Amino acid sequence: MKASRLQTVLIPLLLSAIGAVLFWAFWSGVTGHEGERLAALALARVPESGASNPVTSVLLNFRAYDTLMELAVLLAALLGIWSLGPAAAPYQPAALLLNSLVSWVVPMLIIAGGYLLWIGGQAPGGAFQAGALLGAAGVTLALSGRPNAGLPDESWLRVLAALGTLVFVLIGLTLMFLGLGFLTYPPALAKALILTIETGATLSIGATLAAAFLGGQPRATRTAEP
Amino acid sequence: MFDPLALAVALPLLGALLVTMLPGWSRALGMLTALATTVVALWLTVTVWGGASLHSDLGGWGVPLGIALRADGLAAALVAMANLVALAISINATGYFGTAESSRKFWPLWLLLWSALNGLFLAADLFNLYVMLELLGLSAAALGALTGTREAAEANLRYLLVGLLGSMTYLLGVALLYTAYGTLDLEQVAASLTPGPVALSALALMVGGLLLKAALFPLHFWLPPAHANAPAPVSAALSALVVKAAIYLVLRLWLDLFDGIVTEAAGMLLGLLGAGAVLWGSWRALRAERLKLLAAYSTVAQVGYLFMFLPLLTATPDGPERERLLTALVLLALTHGFAKAGFFLAAGLVQKSTGHDRIRELGGAAQSLPAATFTLGLAGVALIGLPPSGTFFAKWVLVGQAIALGQWWWALVVMAGTLLAAAYVFRVLARAFNREPTPKCFLTDPRTEIPALLLAALSALGVGLAAQPIAVLLGAGD
Repeated sequence: MKASRLQTVLIPLLLSAIGAVLFWAFWSGVTGHEGERLAALALARVPESGASNPVTSVLLNFRAYDTLMELAVLLAALLGIWSLGPAAAPYQPAALLLNSLVSWVVPMLIIAGGYLLWIGGQAPGGAFQAGALLGAAGVTLALSGRPNAGLPDESWLRVLAALGTLVFVLIGLTLMFLGLGFLTYPPALAKALILTIETGATLSIGATLAAAFLGGQPRATRTAEP
Repeated sequence: MFDPLALAVALPLLGALLVTMLPGWSRALGMLTALATTVVALWLTVTVWGGASLHSDLGGWGVPLGIALRADGLAAALVAMANLVALAISINATGYFGTAESSRKFWPLWLLLWSALNGLFLAADLFNLYVMLELLGLSAAALGALTGTREAAEANLRYLLVGLLGSMTYLLGVALLYTAYGTLDLEQVAASLTPGPVALSALALMVGGLLLKAALFPLHFWLPPAHANAPAPVSAALSALVVKAAIYLVLRLWLDLFDGIVTEAAGMLLGLLGAGAVLWGSWRALRAERLKLLAAYSTVAQVGYLFMFLPLLTATPDGPERERLLTALVLLALTHGFAKAGFFLAAGLVQKSTGHDRIRELGGAAQSLPAATFTLGLAGVALIGLPPSGTFFAKWVLVGQAIALGQWWWALVVMAGTLLAAAYVFRVLARAFNREPTPKCFLTDPRTEIPALLLAALSALGVGLAAQPIAVLLGAGD
């Protein structure tokens, strides 16, 4: 007991000391250095990027390579979940009241997702937000007793999960073979390419999140959709 | 127009997506991707070898707005080693997994891991490095759990959490640097970095996080169970490549980013931890009961040698000595990559054909599996550091420079580690060749054996190192 009481005093003290040092470093970083900063430069070049929303410009154009690999991280997470075994047993079917609510909520989530995807070019929104809504629609379906969360069977689900990254990397490689450089969009096509990539990414993110919620490899049952 | 830098990352990624979508074709598509990626990686290395360090601005924005890929000699050397080892592992995996269900799980994750490895070696952007670390850690942990046993799942969950803690700590350091200097490009930050609280905190956070991933003693606790319980091709990749990626990054930060910030005391601390790793890892390898656990602890020890170079590198001024030291360090990393991957693949064959990998019951393996036993022997030569292996040259330079700098204690650690390595390698080989149980005591007739032993030890360890005094002695009569 003595050791643990010592720990209850020492560990918070140690953590606060580390926190204080880090805050001091952060403070001297914020105040100490003047010079050209990346944010101003990025804002200045947003008009050339094919999207007027600065966040989308950074994610899908300036630092598109990072986003491509982040999508791969998402896929790796799903494949990792699948490798651990089959999904848990589905929830029991919901009662009538909840079921009718679900049949209202899910289409609205899908429409809202589509809206967020489209608006992402000019205002806050984009593939990750839209994909999160699609994922939420899948989670709602799973919670109300649909065994596959509204997702297709495994072979199509695999295609759906890889689609976003595939579109992204194929566009990158095509641009490279055309001599422009990997993921270097020609300015005239930038908007169209960004929208194509974001559409694929939205579908994949939505499917991946819903499939991850099921927590294992999809069962071989047919989708029991009405 | 082909960009080998982007292709080295994009090809395995494309392959991973294809095998995800077409699991029935995973073996054929996987091997095709493996061959194509290796060709690109070797082409990249040959180009850099020709004297041109490669550079590529992805998106065409240029730094600091866009992300750059870069390949200098250090990156190219590791890319070549990693891709050759990865190709060998891929070929081995086609046999190891066959067409079983686990093969369909292996290939997509394996190609994602490959993509992350190449991406990490070629990255020139601090945040992009974090993304690569995430992809690497996640796919490595998932691959490690493929055996499906409870121990494997537990060990790899721990590995995943430790890896996440490591990359989060690294990211915190990157955030500090970005706050202070407003850019993420490695060269730009390095150019404007000045000593102060920001640089020191970032150094501690980034290197600290990576030490956890590199499994430097005493942060190695997660490595032996995770590496020993994975399927053999995965163990080979984890030990030979994934750990190396974290060490490469420590080296990159130490030499390029924090050059001028790192102090000799910081180098000394890492060197001491490295020395601890050499002694403790070798000792545990000697005591290990299973072949793969032995290999995993041997990795802990070999990681230690790599870190023992850091205090010497920090203390050596720029010049041919420092370059020799760096060459030796890279040579050691490359040799260990090849040797440990070979060792694990051979151990996998032993485990598959005998049904276990208990060293005690390896008797007669040499008769039934001559090639695997020979592989263990050859890899053992490299792990011990017998000439003409790269480890021999590396240890030679390490000891020489340690003595030249007056830091003789590193030489003692190298010698102790080498003796322990010889002991654990010969313990396996002796078992493999011999059906008889080994005798209980080390000496049977001390009076006759100890003089012989001392003479042999003197010849192996004493005379070579005493060359300098002997030369003085020879000159004395003139």
